[in-house]
Amino acid sequence: MLTIAFDTFVLANGLPVILHVDRSSPLVAVDVWYHVGSKDESPGRTGFAHLFEHLMFMGSRNAPYPAFDSIMESWGGHNNGTTSNDRTNYYEIGPRNLLETFLWLEADRLATLSEVITDEELERQRKVVQNERRQSYENRPYGRAELAIPEAMYPPEHPYHWPTIGSHADIEAATVADVRAFFERFYRPSNASLVVAGDFDPAEARTLVEKYFAWQPRLPPPGRAPLPAEPRLARDIEIALTDRVQLPRLRLSWHAPALFAPGDADLDMAAHVLGGGKSSRLYRSLVFDKRIAQDVFAYQGSQMLGSLFQVGATAKPGHDLPEIAAAVTAEIDRLAAEGPTDAELARARNTHMADFYKGLDHLQTRADLLNHYQHVLGTPDGVGRDVARYEQTTTASVREAFARVVAGRHLDLRVTPEPAAAANGPAVTA
Amino acid sequence: MAQAPAVGPLPAVALPRANRFALSSGLEVVCLRRDVAPIVSAAFMFRSGGACDPPGRTGLASIAAEMLDEGAGPRDALGIAAELEQLGADLWLGSGRDGSQLSIQAPRETFRAAMAMAADILTQPRLETTDWQRVHNDRRTGVVQRRDQPEAVVNVVSDRTLYGDDHPYGQPVDGLERTIDAITLDDVRAFHAVHYRPNHASLVVAGDFDEATLQAELEKMLAAWKPGAAPPAPHPMPWPSRPRLVLVDRPGAPQSIVRMVAPGIDRFSPDRPGLSMLNAILGGSFTSRLNFNLREKHGFTYGAASSFSFLRHAGTFAARAAVFVESTAPAVREMLSELRGLRERPITTEEHAKAHATLLMRVAEGLSSTGGMATTFGELGLYGLPLDEPMRFVAALQRTTADDLRSLAERYVDPEAACIVIVGDRATIEPGLRELGLPPPELCNADGDRL
Repeated sequence: MLTIAFDTFVLANGLPVILHVDRSSPLVAVDVWYHVGSKDESPGRTGFAHLFEHLMFMGSRNAPYPAFDSIMESWGGHNNGTTSNDRTNYYEIGPRNLLETFLWLEADRLATLSEVITDEELERQRKVVQNERRQSYENRPYGRAELAIPEAMYPPEHPYHWPTIGSHADIEAATVADVRAFFERFYRPSNASLVVAGDFDPAEARTLVEKYFAWQPRLPPPGRAPLPAEPRLARDIEIALTDRVQLPRLRLSWHAPALFAPGDADLDMAAHVLGGGKSSRLYRSLVFDKRIAQDVFAYQGSQMLGSLFQVGATAKPGHDLPEIAAAVTAEIDRLAAEGPTDAELARARNTHMADFYKGLDHLQTRADLLNHYQHVLGTPDGVGRDVARYEQTTTASVREAFARVVAGRHLDLRVTPEPAAAANGPAVTA
Repeated sequence: MAQAPAVGPLPAVALPRANRFALSSGLEVVCLRRDVAPIVSAAFMFRSGGACDPPGRTGLASIAAEMLDEGAGPRDALGIAAELEQLGADLWLGSGRDGSQLSIQAPRETFRAAMAMAADILTQPRLETTDWQRVHNDRRTGVVQRRDQPEAVVNVVSDRTLYGDDHPYGQPVDGLERTIDAITLDDVRAFHAVHYRPNHASLVVAGDFDEATLQAELEKMLAAWKPGAAPPAPHPMPWPSRPRLVLVDRPGAPQSIVRMVAPGIDRFSPDRPGLSMLNAILGGSFTSRLNFNLREKHGFTYGAASSFSFLRHAGTFAARAAVFVESTAPAVREMLSELRGLRERPITTEEHAKAHATLLMRVAEGLSSTGGMATTFGELGLYGLPLDEPMRFVAALQRTTADDLRSLAERYVDPEAACIVIVGDRATIEPGLRELGLPPPELCNADGDRL
């Protein structure tokens, strides 16, 4: 049976701590998740959770900027953070002699960040984040579509309506007072979980975690906005965008069951059968047989307040999106009507399970997975449940879940080349 | 807690035990055990990559690699894809400058079956016309689509600028539209026949497999594979003249992709450990001089970095950043100033210690997964390096002083002789660039053709 061995305990201030020992390399990883994401932002302050993540590296009382990075890098450690709709995570990886340093740095910023944050530091990271937005979305082919999809799929009052990166105007509007308020509300031990993974002695690690975190005050978990109504599209939506690209692309999106909800695993399997690889139906039809598409994809974008099931295809030169849409729709209709074959489902399941094994080879992936289960399920002990939900899928359950999703209303987004794109090189010919 | 905790000594980094043998065909095999997860990684490395492409047909090595799994032995293209998924195996075929590679990663239980398929793919590829027409067309479209991606464009243009089109490293490994058009299926067949030979290759197997039976199983799976004559080596050419400034216009782009490139050193140079350390200080870590200046101090970018690539016949030094369009000229000035500063601003004790620890731990992290072990030892096989080379590298890091790094900076980092390539909105950025005293700008399209 597949497992990730761990010990867990909860500090008196409500911080869950998870220890995972792996002595195969002289490395340790510290991984902290805060249960706050862009879904917890206020109107007019979109992108704030992510901007805040950047500010977590701007120094704390006892480790003034840029000590967080410079201390660990002087010993060969490195770190990063990521923000999604649902959560924010921070991690450090390095030689095992840095374990206490990692814990000290994480604890110090959790205890003192709001005391030391200044306008100057906010201004610095505001510019960095605006450049991240330009690099990851505005100057990237088809990036505009990524920003447009959540806005179209969720109503303005739903917290998935805005992208995690936020808008330039909101990023510019953020103040130090916003930073302090956000920190006080969400950055508390009871709203976080801590994983220590790698080459360490568990008793020693527990002593260190208690030394740096246990003294921090107990505060109740933050109050949350009431859960939004389940999003539904009132009608099918069509959006036409242009971008700096050579080839047109179709993007179809449906609302789908939330992460770990009934049907979520079935839709992962359906996505694999439909567009998950070279033996998928869309690849076979559009790329291999008809040769009208350059690429195809399908995935279940699982999130805690509801998922988006996404399908896409890029037209080859000489082919257009109506032709692509007809071929994609035919495959969607066929899968909804007939479901996957036994062989297709077996391949999807085997691929999923093998990818899971491959992830477990990496220390940081295991650390992150334990926190993921803690965040979503309230316990790090999630491997068995996670694996079982895929083992339980059947051709009938996949068909039923998929048919229900694609019977719903959807977004049909089409990206076509800006006229200027052709000036960038020789004309595209079939 | 006001006090930073004391930090003990860095742990020693050890190599995994490697078992080495040769098959009767001449294929060198290295095996490494790791049982943290029930998976196995294998990498066949062939000592021919894009550098072996014939003139006018760049892209041949990489498209040949891509064709191998489009039908082999008893299975057609979709049959291979379906069977690999059934086994839960990932297959990757591709080429770099110096080599081509077939890698698989599979669960322990299906590894043997996946290896048998890899053997078919390498020794009995069908290379049929209908598959070729599709793959050839997909590749042609792919290199056209590359023009959409400013980072990919700057890669193509900076290599063509630095090395020149006649150098084996000058043109993109994926090819250009016209060179892809020139390649035929017969070229692919010939490339496979000449270069995919066991005596021109090496194999690494890492992970959770049965060491006792592997050799006999490989002999059986690869029984039909015969050695061949050594293929001709590519001929490196002299460096074209520098410095140059090359612009690729991307009207309306919100950022400019800035790349500075200069000659570096090859994979076999004794200066590799020292230059790797120097790079950690300049642009190979978050707290590096380039990133701190351009990202943290000025807010020009989401990140600035530098790197040395160490290849068989030569190497490249590169500094890079994607910067806000309005900050393009000031960002170029700061990058040049940091390159100059490597000679002028002394390397501190802290920087030297950081560089040593960073490189040491990169070795340790590289060995901390089966995929990383296959990559580390695969690279040794590709360049014919001894299996203890990572430990020689670690020892050399230990010996390299801050003074050594200063003299390496003098010898290898010369901003006045770098080529600068920028993909961005020409109308907005050119006036500012003209004030920096750079060579007159030359214009190229997104494939690097002079306009």
